[in-house]
Amino acid sequence: MIAVQALVKEFPKKDGTTFRAVDEVSFEAAHGEIVCLLGVNGAGKTTTMRILSTVFKPQSGKASIEGFDVLTQGDQVRRNLGFLSGDTGLYARLTPREFIHYFGRLYGVQDNAIKRRIEEMSALLDMREFLDKKMEFLSTGMKQKVSIVRSIIHDPPVMIFDEPTAGLDILTARNIIAFIRDCKQRGKCVLFSTHIMREAERLADRVIMIHQGRILTQGSLPSLREESGLTDLDDIFVYYVNQASADAKVEAHEF
Amino acid sequence: MSFKKALIVYRKELLELLRDRRTLFATVVLPVIMYPLLFMGFSAIMSRQAGVLEKRGATVAWVDSLSIRNADSGSFSKSIQDNLAKLEYFTVVPAPKALKQLYAEEEIQAIVTLSDSLSKQGLATYKLQVQYDASGERERMIYGKIEKALLATEKAEINRRLVTLKVNPELIKPMVIVPRDTSTAEKKMGSFLGMFLPYIMILTLVAGAATIAADLVAGEKERRTLETLLVSSASRSEIVWGKYLTIFTMAMVNVTINLVSLSFSLRFLMSQSGLETQGLQLPISAFLILLLAMVPLASLFAALLLSISTFSRNMKEARTYEQPIMMVSMLLGMISFVPSIEINNLLALVPVVNISLLFKAVMINEYALSHLLLTIGTTLVLDAIAIWATVKLFNTESVLFRSEDDSNVKISRANKRSFFNPFYGLVYFAIAVLALFYLGGKWQAANLVRGLQMTELALILLPVLIVLRLLKLKPKETLRLKLPRLQEVALVPFIAVSAAVLVTLAAQLINAVFPFPPEYMESMSKIFQQDVSLGMMFLVIAILPGICEEVLFRGFLIRFFGDKARNAVIISALLFAIFHLDPFRFLPVFLLGLLLGYLTVRSGSIINSMLSHAINNGLALLVVTYASQPWLKPLLQDAENFKLWVGLLALPVLATSLWMFHKVTAPKELN
Ligand SMILES: Nc1ncnc2c1ncn2[C@@H]1O[C@H](COP(=O)(O)OP(=O)(O)OP(=O)(O)O)[C@@H](O)[C@H]1O
Ligand SMILES: [Mg+2]
Repeated sequence: MIAVQALVKEFPKKDGTTFRAVDEVSFEAAHGEIVCLLGVNGAGKTTTMRILSTVFKPQSGKASIEGFDVLTQGDQVRRNLGFLSGDTGLYARLTPREFIHYFGRLYGVQDNAIKRRIEEMSALLDMREFLDKKMEFLSTGMKQKVSIVRSIIHDPPVMIFDEPTAGLDILTARNIIAFIRDCKQRGKCVLFSTHIMREAERLADRVIMIHQGRILTQGSLPSLREESGLTDLDDIFVYYVNQASADAKVEAHEF
Repeated sequence: MSFKKALIVYRKELLELLRDRRTLFATVVLPVIMYPLLFMGFSAIMSRQAGVLEKRGATVAWVDSLSIRNADSGSFSKSIQDNLAKLEYFTVVPAPKALKQLYAEEEIQAIVTLSDSLSKQGLATYKLQVQYDASGERERMIYGKIEKALLATEKAEINRRLVTLKVNPELIKPMVIVPRDTSTAEKKMGSFLGMFLPYIMILTLVAGAATIAADLVAGEKERRTLETLLVSSASRSEIVWGKYLTIFTMAMVNVTINLVSLSFSLRFLMSQSGLETQGLQLPISAFLILLLAMVPLASLFAALLLSISTFSRNMKEARTYEQPIMMVSMLLGMISFVPSIEINNLLALVPVVNISLLFKAVMINEYALSHLLLTIGTTLVLDAIAIWATVKLFNTESVLFRSEDDSNVKISRANKRSFFNPFYGLVYFAIAVLALFYLGGKWQAANLVRGLQMTELALILLPVLIVLRLLKLKPKETLRLKLPRLQEVALVPFIAVSAAVLVTLAAQLINAVFPFPPEYMESMSKIFQQDVSLGMMFLVIAILPGICEEVLFRGFLIRFFGDKARNAVIISALLFAIFHLDPFRFLPVFLLGLLLGYLTVRSGSIINSMLSHAINNGLALLVVTYASQPWLKPLLQDAENFKLWVGLLALPVLATSLWMFHKVTAPKELN
């Protein structure tokens, strides 16, 4: 499971001040659950996920994956985590098989197990033909499949997807969506980010709306609908953004 | 940190590189074909050139202004003409009418004129004038041939005369000079190779490593594969080690292939030309030593270039940042072309220079083991630092994930308001150094004392004041021209004197290990032997530097290097040390710079460091001037240096006074 508590991430700016990309973010995600980080560009989704995957260090707050602290137990965190993002590249001169073996070995998976997994997954995702082609010759959809296999080669209990369908056509995107559902079926804890409301609607058990680094609200779709009195997720999102800025104005007046 | 994972990364990187045609071509194919082509092409052109020049032959005009008057000379004249005509491709023509014009038009390349003169004893001497244009290569060759032909004629004439006198011609051959060159062919070859081999090797090493390094991290950033690697369970240091080993391996492979290819093509070339090089072996053992010596350097470059790649956001940027490293190492590597420089213990401490000179020494088999070890040792130390720094960089997210708006253009734009950024600082410093080198050097050569005065005032102090004026900055604030508090100033003499003693001792220590060249010592003491009053000396040596150099370094330049006081102090001290343009005093001056920077920044008053600087320099003058006085002599070991126990005494004094300075300048608690 994922547990995040009052997470803060600041980036230094050139003028000496800092910019808060993630501001006191707290949430949890359990096994067998799909949680969606929903927010517009620059909301802080990627930054949050990078902290969870130990790429960034937070200024304050706590985050853990399967109970392992991201700051102090990075190694265990990475072992228990599968990470897939829409814009990752692949090594052009390797074949998918070599690529997956590479990451499998880095995760300490036995070669036999890697082989078995590649067989299993390539049957499932229909990728037999291009397993031994250089990746520079693969189509985007094929590449995405390779990334999927790469991300679960060590069978992690927690999966993080950062805008996994960005830049994909509908058919390829469906592969990913199916895969995310599959992860849930297998009892994994799934966190995924998107700025596409429809996608959140279709997949998520719970939605966390994030804006300018802050969480606007979080809850299941029905409960959000009920609270806002709106049905369309777009409208709901705008509703909460407006509410937050109204709050901010009030706060500003109080000072 | 497990090496297993580093090896996994390493193997994958190698596999990928070996599949890259460009890399493969640059590391393996290019060196294999380059040297043979280079050498063969070169030698072909050379011999073609010489052959062509020879085949073009020459037309030589023969002017005999003697035989008309003197019939006796007829046979001599004829033998000269015969000898000249015997020259291959030569045409000898009797002086034509339009000789002058034909010579001017280069139809005729040389004119040989026979005349005579009488010697003092009344003996006739033939005089042969050879007119030619010595600036032309072809004409020089023609002259050489003519001269040979004439000398042959002379020899025959001598023999003829001796025979007429019934003297055995052997009589006038009392001796023969037989040069016996003891240098082996290997050594000759070695000294030749020693000139350019180091340069080529260092060049290929850096160039090869740079291409690969740029690809390994900056390339992964560009292709957006780095993050995937970072979230895998390989730790950052494992990734660094894997990548570092990759660059190192490829660099060594590159160097080895280059050496092997070079030696093969050289050998081929030698067997082709066949001349005196027959049976000559290339110094293979030397090549092996060189390969060994290249190991730490390759490792150093691998680490350095990897850290640049880590810092860069994309390959293009990496290639840009790699340029200075390549330039500097190429320049340093070129030292092997300087004929008189040989490796010594001190130069063995300068990276790249040491390898270059070691190469040279090894190639003629004249090197000391200590130089080899020092070279390898120094490089390894730097290497360890570079690897450590790379791992550290790789762990610094602001470096690994430098965001787009960090680009240099924007830095300078954002800082337009504040003139004080590191880039401008370095530019100002570079200009100051150039001015010091050219103008200051010239002035001081003309008149040392006047030159020093002008340097301090016009080159060091004045420009700073002008710049401050132009920028409308208040000198008082910017330069920290603030009166120090009494308790601070009172401590400064103790600090300055004890530090000066310690710094001199440190310099002595360095001198003991790495002796300064005697010319250097002489030039240093020259300054103390000026024929001017002590007061003037004091002004030039102590007061002016104390004020002017402090204004430049502790007042002005220190402002350019960020808000972190520690960094600014260290960098300004480094610049201060470089500014003295003297490798032998680098370390002592750097230490002094650190102390002075600390005094200024800590107390917020530059007066403290001015005073300290002046005392430090003044003390040196004092010691040299009064070395033989009874009140000073017991403290001294020789004319300039203190005894060790003085240093031991100075250490606690410095520690205590610095500690007290730190205390009295402590920032006041806000309450
Ligand atoms: N390495 C960095 N240095 C400085 N600022 C950064 C860095 N990474 C992200 N930011 C800033 O943090 C903010 C949040 O970025 P983040 O990438 O988390 O947004 P996001 O929600 O993922 O948006 P998108 O939909 O565009 O991916 C942005 O304003 C971005 O400019
Ligand atoms: Mg994002």
